[in-house]
Amino acid sequence: MTTKALLITPELCIGCRGCQIACKSWNQLSAEKTKNHGGYENPPDLTPNNFNKIRFMEVPSEKNPTRWLFVSQRCMHCKDAGCMKICSSPGALTRSETGAVVTNHEKCVGCHLCVAGCPFNVPRYNRKTNKLAKCTQCADRVPNGLTPLCAKTCPTGAIAFGDRDELLAKAQQKGYAKVYGEMDLGGLGTLFAFKDAPKIYGYADKPAINEFVIFWHKFLKPASWLGIGGMTALMGLHYLAVGPKKETQDKEEPTCLCGEKITESTEEREANHETKQ
Amino acid sequence: MKLNNNDLIRKETASSMTNHWVLAISCLLLTLSGFAFLFHIQSIGDLFGGFPMMRNIHNWLGVVFAVSLFLSMWNWLKECITFGYNDIEWCIAAGGYLGKFWKKKAPPMHKLNTGQKLFYLCLLIFGLGIIVSGFFIWLSPGFRTIMILAHFLHNVCFILIGIFLPIHIYLSTLGNPGTIRIMIYGTVPVWWARKKSQQWVEEIEEGHSH
Repeated sequence: MTTKALLITPELCIGCRGCQIACKSWNQLSAEKTKNHGGYENPPDLTPNNFNKIRFMEVPSEKNPTRWLFVSQRCMHCKDAGCMKICSSPGALTRSETGAVVTNHEKCVGCHLCVAGCPFNVPRYNRKTNKLAKCTQCADRVPNGLTPLCAKTCPTGAIAFGDRDELLAKAQQKGYAKVYGEMDLGGLGTLFAFKDAPKIYGYADKPAINEFVIFWHKFLKPASWLGIGGMTALMGLHYLAVGPKKETQDKEEPTCLCGEKITESTEEREANHETKQ
Repeated sequence: MKLNNNDLIRKETASSMTNHWVLAISCLLLTLSGFAFLFHIQSIGDLFGGFPMMRNIHNWLGVVFAVSLFLSMWNWLKECITFGYNDIEWCIAAGGYLGKFWKKKAPPMHKLNTGQKLFYLCLLIFGLGIIVSGFFIWLSPGFRTIMILAHFLHNVCFILIGIFLPIHIYLSTLGNPGTIRIMIYGTVPVWWARKKSQQWVEEIEEGHSH
């Protein structure tokens, strides 16, 4: 199957948050009690029960006193995924046929390293189930020919789903010269058609995996093998080239290296000898 | 008091031997499961009852390792931070382990030789690093920067311990035939102790040490 993607156009979003409800509905995620902190944005953050959310942002504008932006926040399905790099369990995070990063709860060990490894701070760790949770680009719908439910629900087309190349071409036709995520991190599975700099929409200009994670992946992992394996090989070489350091008793008395038997001391031996006589 | 060469002399007590066994087994199992996590080795994961179960075992074995490493300080720390001139000589002679390639002989040592002392100190320092970082990975979900740095440190310490571990295991088994009996019986023949730990035997004979 071809690589699929979501194309999000914040300017088309009216902030209805139907996508949030649709996502909860399809993925059977329960509601969470949140606090009102003086805005329409709710829930305040992604949680193990919120795979996507609309960020309400007020930014300065030339025409109006404020410009209200509604920006979808969810897994970006990076081609070069930090979460997959750092994941400690095979099969917990896999790449689907359509290019999405899919979670498998049964394989997840709950080490929550992916939470730290993600450059977009997306995966969430569920303390109750001890598993990670995040958007899977509806990996249980897409292979069956259905669109992700957030895109299906969206009334304005702010979230569009389709072949990645087609979406990119469409965005370019509409006048978005540069689509966010076209080249970043090997190509994101969630594309953004931003009118302005990504920073205004709350996204890093150049998203990147943490250097420590990259260094660990590139150098420390091979060094783990080299360290223990190389040293073992070196010890084998020592055994062949130099050989073991055998200690031998100087006198010609029998040794008791391999037995438990404690040889009697000279005094005792003499005493025994005398009693026998 | 002169010790007879054919007698056995106690080098490790029952408590220090138990300490070493617990430390050794937990360390090896942690290494094995750690490798499985690093390289996604399914067969090792199956051996531990699947990856999610291996994660629990790895974490709790870490606690066992931490406790036994902490208690080991009562057994070996004092000996291992006592260095003398003979330790420099030992290093120059490479412990006498290079045979025909470097014919210098190892000087008389105390209960433990320089290599053993340095290995213990390495294990203590990098072990502390791996324990502290391990607990941070385990117990600090949400603190992304701490998690990444702890994960990084965990692996650096793992590599360093992994470098010294094969030397320690080799020299206590194949490299020095007969040494393994210290792990099993805790005793060594006096003539053997004279070769390996001459200063210690002399101190006992003079009545200074136990």
